[in-house]
Amino acid sequence: MKQREFRRILRQAVYVPILLLLLLAVFFIAQLRRFSNAVNDLHRADLITNSIIDLQKLILDQETGMRGYELTGDPAMLAPYNAGMQPIQQNFADLGSLLSGNSAQEQRLTTLSQRYQLWLSRARRIVANDKTLINNPEADEENKILMDNIRSAVHQMLVTQEKQREEQFLRETPYVTKADLLTTLLAAFIIGLIVAIFTRQRLRTVSRSYDATLAEVEQHTREAHESRQRFKTTLESIGDGVIACDMKGRVQFMNAIAASLTGWAAEDATGRPLTEVFHIIHEETREPAENPVKVVQRLKKVVGLANHTALVSRDGREYVIDDSAAPILGPDGKMTGIVLVFHDVTEQRRTEAALIAGEKLAVAGRLAASIAHEIHNPLDSVSNLLFLLKEEKDPARRDEYLTMAEQELARTMQISRTMLSLYRESKAPVTVDLKDLIEGVMLLLERRIAMQQIDMAYEFVEPCTVEGFPAEIRQVVTNVLVNAIEAAGMKGRIRIRLRSAPAEEFRGAGAMIEVADSGPGIQNGDAHRLFRPFFTTKGEKGTGLGLWVSMGIVQKHGGSIRLSNCGEAQYTGACASIYLPSKTLAGLDHPASPVA
Amino acid sequence: MSKPFILCVDDEELGLQIRRAVLERAGYSVRTALNGPEGLDAFSSEPIDLVVLDYSMPGMHGGDVALEMRRLRPTVPIILLSAYVNLPTEVTRIVDCSMLKGDGPELLLSKIQEFLSERAGGMSHGGGRE
Repeated sequence: MKQREFRRILRQAVYVPILLLLLLAVFFIAQLRRFSNAVNDLHRADLITNSIIDLQKLILDQETGMRGYELTGDPAMLAPYNAGMQPIQQNFADLGSLLSGNSAQEQRLTTLSQRYQLWLSRARRIVANDKTLINNPEADEENKILMDNIRSAVHQMLVTQEKQREEQFLRETPYVTKADLLTTLLAAFIIGLIVAIFTRQRLRTVSRSYDATLAEVEQHTREAHESRQRFKTTLESIGDGVIACDMKGRVQFMNAIAASLTGWAAEDATGRPLTEVFHIIHEETREPAENPVKVVQRLKKVVGLANHTALVSRDGREYVIDDSAAPILGPDGKMTGIVLVFHDVTEQRRTEAALIAGEKLAVAGRLAASIAHEIHNPLDSVSNLLFLLKEEKDPARRDEYLTMAEQELARTMQISRTMLSLYRESKAPVTVDLKDLIEGVMLLLERRIAMQQIDMAYEFVEPCTVEGFPAEIRQVVTNVLVNAIEAAGMKGRIRIRLRSAPAEEFRGAGAMIEVADSGPGIQNGDAHRLFRPFFTTKGEKGTGLGLWVSMGIVQKHGGSIRLSNCGEAQYTGACASIYLPSKTLAGLDHPASPVA
Repeated sequence: MSKPFILCVDDEELGLQIRRAVLERAGYSVRTALNGPEGLDAFSSEPIDLVVLDYSMPGMHGGDVALEMRRLRPTVPIILLSAYVNLPTEVTRIVDCSMLKGDGPELLLSKIQEFLSERAGGMSHGGGRE
């Protein structure tokens, strides 16, 4: 279950009951208010009743006082009359405000007030000793009628008030106490039940989802463990040495091959700095090689080791290794460590060296055959001339033979000098004029070209010089030209083009030698295999090493060699393009090349 | 008795002229040709007794020339004279003898005499010098 859903359910389990309880509270408050209003109303009704009774009592006291004074003429009798004056006014005012809104009772209050005023005006006249009213039976009768009217009004008010209170009580109180209480209790019970069921159901869902999540986590943990084991087994089983490091360059993992090559047991190596476990040096200079972890951290990409790197194992044994180091990236693309993959190439290097030595011998053999051929012709002439000289008596003829012999010997010397100078090895790169170099190679091949009557075309666009090892470059050019001659066959065509290569076309300014022929071209799929050792299309005639060695030489110079089909009308066959940079990289530390 | 007629085929003109002088000094009639086709023309049109053939020549090498000569007249001895040390066996098989340039005129002359004597069979003519 997703965490979001989990939270949603928890929210529901909390907020829904709160909402329902809030509703219940609102309902209760409303009920309470209604109840309180009903009580207030009854209290008010009682207040009015009491006020009317008080008023009646005050008026009766006033009348009693007034009658006492009328009978006795004693002003002391007037005390209740005078004392009632103010409270009566107050009572009328209070009742007026209490009955506001109750029009029927207001009406009656007004009637009562008018009747009281009528009585009071007669009472004032009596108190003021109006002789027409004092001890006059007629007037007394009138006073009694006025007083009865007041009593009747009060009675009506009281009866109405009682009746209204009764109605109010019947309307409000029973309703609040029975139906409402029942409804409220029922609502409270239902809401409580809903809250309980809902919360239980939600909590059950949460519990179930929690169980499911727990099972899922367990499954993931198990899978992760299995995957880890599988990867570990895979890494242990592969034929290359593998070492994984953290960002601090400390060994985290090491497989069996790595353990055997470094001489460190995996458990001893774990946690140690890589430089301690993976001790690498330059095979020739013996200088320590740069820590691959640092290189990867700096470049943030897969890097190969420098050429001629040797791994010194814990027990001092040395292995020539080929390796690469790559960043380990986390899910967010951030580097979390470095992995090194390496293998022992000591045997491979020995084999390569033997192959290269073999090819060098083959090249030397071919060169020797060429030289022998070029020298045997004049040598044959000289020995023939000596034979003739022995028996020649004619001085003029003798001179002629001697001159010819000298010329032929000079030619022999010339051939020998030219050829041997071509193949002089140099220790450091020198400036090589490629036009001269190609012409020198042509000198060796011209006889063969003539034999096959090959139509040669030269396009030496501009003088081109590069820095490099002339003997090696000559070996490459010879190889490529011999291939072209063999491919072109009888009466074929070969074009040699020499031009400068602009910096933007390659990795730097340099020269380009292109040799195109009219042969059958390159079979589909052969273009890459041609540069592999022992691949040959010449059957028994070739060693299959020429192009492989050539590529090694060109790469050592920092250049490249490419074979393609020309696809031109006159040059239908293969086209070999050799790019050599103006400034050679040979002699500097450089990626692996098969040239020793 | 007429001199044996030897055909020399070689593209090295100076060497060819010197060889001609040596052979003529030894008493042979010499016909020279500077390439294979010219040599074949001479071989088919003239009564050639023996051929001294160079191997590496432009256009048509000694092996092909020898093969054609064998087809025309199989009994005429052919000596292959080459500047190359290791010639292919399919070429050396065709010819009667294969020699290296620079081995010296004495060896060449003795071989020529040997083949001509064989060819003459019981005949009294032994070539040789006059």
